Amino acid sequence: MRVLWSVRASARHYANNTFIANVLLHKRYYKPWGATIGLELHVQLAAAQKLFSAASAKWDDPPNTNVDFIDAGLPGSMPRLNPECVSLAARAILCLNGQVQPRSSFDRKHYFYSDQPLGYQITQQRHPIGRGGFIELSQADGIDYTKRVRIHQLQLEQDTAKSVHGVYPGYILTDLNRAGVALVEIVSEPDMETATEAVYFVRKMQTLLRHTGVSSCNMEDGSLRCDVNVSVYRGDEDRLSGTRCELKNLNSLKTIRGAIEAEVSRQIELISAGHRVKQETRGFDAHSGKTVLARSKETAPDYRYMPEPDLPAVHISKDWVEHIRSSLPELPEATLSRMTRQYGLLPEDVTTMLGEPGCITFFELAAKGRDPKRVAAWITSEIFGQLSYRAQRLNDSTLTVQQFTGLLDALASNAVTSGQAKLLLIEFMDGDKRTADELIQARGWEVMSDLGRLQDLATQLLGKHPKEAAEYKAGHKRRLNFFVAKIMAATKGQARPQDVSRVLKECLDEK
Amino acid sequence: AYVGSRQYRSISAPVTAISALETIAKRNPALNTFASHITPAKIGSSESSDGPLKDWPIAVKANIATTLPSATSCASRALDACTSPFQATIVDSLEGAGAVVVGKTNMDEFGIGSKSMFGIYGAAINPYTPSSDVRRKDMAESDYRTPGGDSGESAAAVAAGMCRAALGSDTGGSVRLPAAWCGVVGSKPTFGRISRHGLVAHGSSLDIIGIITRNVADVQSVFSVAAVPDPLDMTCMSSSLRARIKALADSRSWITQVRGRSETESAPLAGIRVGIPEEYWVNELSVSALESWKAGASRLTALGCDVVSVSLSHTPSALPAYYTLAWAEASSNLARYDGIRYGRRSTTSPDTRDLQNASQKYANTRSENFGAEVQRRILLGTYVMSSAASEHYFTPSQKIRRLIQEEFDRVFALPNALSMTNPLTPPTSRPPGVDVLLFPTATGAAPRLGDQEDSRVANYVNDMMTVPASLAGIPAISIPVGHTDGMPLGLQLAAQYGDDELLFRVARHL
Repeated sequence: MRVLWSVRASARHYANNTFIANVLLHKRYYKPWGATIGLELHVQLAAAQKLFSAASAKWDDPPNTNVDFIDAGLPGSMPRLNPECVSLAARAILCLNGQVQPRSSFDRKHYFYSDQPLGYQITQQRHPIGRGGFIELSQADGIDYTKRVRIHQLQLEQDTAKSVHGVYPGYILTDLNRAGVALVEIVSEPDMETATEAVYFVRKMQTLLRHTGVSSCNMEDGSLRCDVNVSVYRGDEDRLSGTRCELKNLNSLKTIRGAIEAEVSRQIELISAGHRVKQETRGFDAHSGKTVLARSKETAPDYRYMPEPDLPAVHISKDWVEHIRSSLPELPEATLSRMTRQYGLLPEDVTTMLGEPGCITFFELAAKGRDPKRVAAWITSEIFGQLSYRAQRLNDSTLTVQQFTGLLDALASNAVTSGQAKLLLIEFMDGDKRTADELIQARGWEVMSDLGRLQDLATQLLGKHPKEAAEYKAGHKRRLNFFVAKIMAATKGQARPQDVSRVLKECLDEK
Repeated sequence: AYVGSRQYRSISAPVTAISALETIAKRNPALNTFASHITPAKIGSSESSDGPLKDWPIAVKANIATTLPSATSCASRALDACTSPFQATIVDSLEGAGAVVVGKTNMDEFGIGSKSMFGIYGAAINPYTPSSDVRRKDMAESDYRTPGGDSGESAAAVAAGMCRAALGSDTGGSVRLPAAWCGVVGSKPTFGRISRHGLVAHGSSLDIIGIITRNVADVQSVFSVAAVPDPLDMTCMSSSLRARIKALADSRSWITQVRGRSETESAPLAGIRVGIPEEYWVNELSVSALESWKAGASRLTALGCDVVSVSLSHTPSALPAYYTLAWAEASSNLARYDGIRYGRRSTTSPDTRDLQNASQKYANTRSENFGAEVQRRILLGTYVMSSAASEHYFTPSQKIRRLIQEEFDRVFALPNALSMTNPLTPPTSRPPGVDVLLFPTATGAAPRLGDQEDSRVANYVNDMMTVPASLAGIPAISIPVGHTDGMPLGLQLAAQYGDDELLFRVARHL
């Protein structure tokens, strides 16, 4: 199903200029445009060591401390392929439904820059390790139709060193820690048609690659980098007929969306005005919301690709591929259908939990013998809320499954109120290692279930505030809250709100 | 084997470390062989380990990494101020077997040249002088003979008695050619037999560490220590491949095994078939080279070999293909010498305030650090890999290389272990094909240093005999046979991929 670039989306972009927006919406000037979008993702593999050297791949160590001879390009040094990187690349290919190639080889891509110690990057230009594959977007991912985005290829390559500008004026500082770290470059087919599809594609890629342990896939720390290719076409033309521009240095999902929308608008404007789109590399200026020229095609370098003579070809057997496949965890699609069936959960909730590594396992352990909907609700609202507040991942949190289930059981048996349960959760996530029961006892929280005492309190209160009682009886039902608040304060929150309201109503209605 | 002219014939005993250093002190200033060497004090102070090479003095070429200060210079300004933090695997292996590295030999800069005159330490001189020049008192430097390149100094060191064995690097003949011109044995083993870890790369798919000694027995001693698997070099043969090659080679029923047979047997090489490739009979071959070739063939016949003529029709294409590939790989391997992380950095560049000037800094540094011949080859190598030229030069050269390798496979009786995927079945009868090839190492004896002739193309022509074996990765060895005017000549033997043992066996008898 083809999705034409929404006129409304263009109008939204021109929201500041209502005249143009109105013009676009006017049927007489309506001209359906389409956009063709392809992505190139660079993903840092979660291997302990670099792709061709034994140096550690940790990115946050002090500068120039994780450097092996080949990473600095010392004379006489040679590359050695790290088998863990091949395994991780194979996992990525399999979870994207691609084919692991039985034979792949490496090439040198030459250019001079201070972040390229060898004067060339070792990559896989002609015979990559993975071909084919796809990501399917659907309702569970947030769009109300199904869209399959095909993957062209996946290749192993080295990351460059890190260049730091602006610390010492006039100098570029080079940190070789990152030089030689393993990347996979994932190239999609230009199947996407809207910024939303592109952003959802990246999000789903992140989920899949995190889920299979291939990469932490964060745009914030650079373990995921994204370049976008955009072209436009008129509704009745061929999708690939437009000239494409490359958008680089997009460092968040929001930037990707903004850049694509800005670039599509720019190209539509250009062509509508009778000009031609030039093949360029552009960046995105979030401040102005426009794409800006970075490099034109004329200055693009000639990389002089050459087969890498220091590394033999990589031969991969079918048995090994199957071995890797059997070690993959259940993939998100399968988890989604299983959990909606098994636990009766809504797809949105399952998808939310899938987005957090370790959450599905956490849920399934907690849901044993308990109401799954309740467990899911607690996880997606309370626990995720706390994680977000603390900017933490579930796997790094101090909350254990035992603590969580203790909390749920205490709540279900009315040993604590929901307010108290929320406080318990905060204690657990602050680092308290005690069980739920221990903490309840320590705090002295027992639910006041003595209804007689409540009735006494209620009667006392009504006697003290005859005016409000009369207002309630006259029809201002909201006055109940006044009394509820007073009793909650008197009982220090240890009475259940439901009990309190019930008792009060009985007393009020009695009189 | 023929040892050399009168002045060196007296050296028959193996060289010891002490005598090597004495000879270095005496002869090196004139011959300019060693770029750096150790002092006698160092030999006394450190105990060398026990092993088959105990106390052997070894000269190591300046492009093989050792941790001596400023020693791994590759005879270039780019590296002459640098000290390598690691040693080449082969140096560690040899020292572990008891050898003593007495010094680093001079060379052509980064291995680029055929006459050992293009490095920063200046030209080296062949220890041999033609009989016709011996009495001249007014010999200018340009009249002296070159030892050949680019491992010329390694060969000269062995010839002059400054070491017992020398390590060189052979990319297109740079061990075999100087060995022939200096009258010593130069061996280029099969590609992958010896680890390249620590060898400064020139043409990675062509480079091999070569062994130069006075006789084949010494080559074999060094080879057996050095030819071991190395996980640090992924192109080094694994132990399983070595075992497979050995099984293949040993299964040849038509070659009688040498173990246990006396060396004085009348036909010690019976059953071995020697091929004489017709295409190596070129116009440029000097009369004396031709004579030594014929003499070699007669000797092998007398030893029991069956000598036949074979055809390697792709030989004329080998030289242009080799140069295209070697220079392309050189331009790639030398890209890292930018002075940023190590090495000399140009001080004459403008400030690096913007990227434009950063490129200029690269250009200035590299122009200052590389000699003219290196710059020439880098530029040509860059050109043949450029998108405009690659499919007209680089890709066809790769195809020619494959054709040459397949041609060798057809000519040799032993199958190529790399192409065999099925388990081997020993042949029941003798297959067609030869076991070794015999041809000259060079077109003639060593030229004068001052010989420019038809400019540098003439220099390149010297490589035509040695280059095909480099392209195919097959083992080859140069043996001193014959002489002209007191200058040594050499003959080459080549065998199928991995067949180093047979090559040594035949070479020993020649």
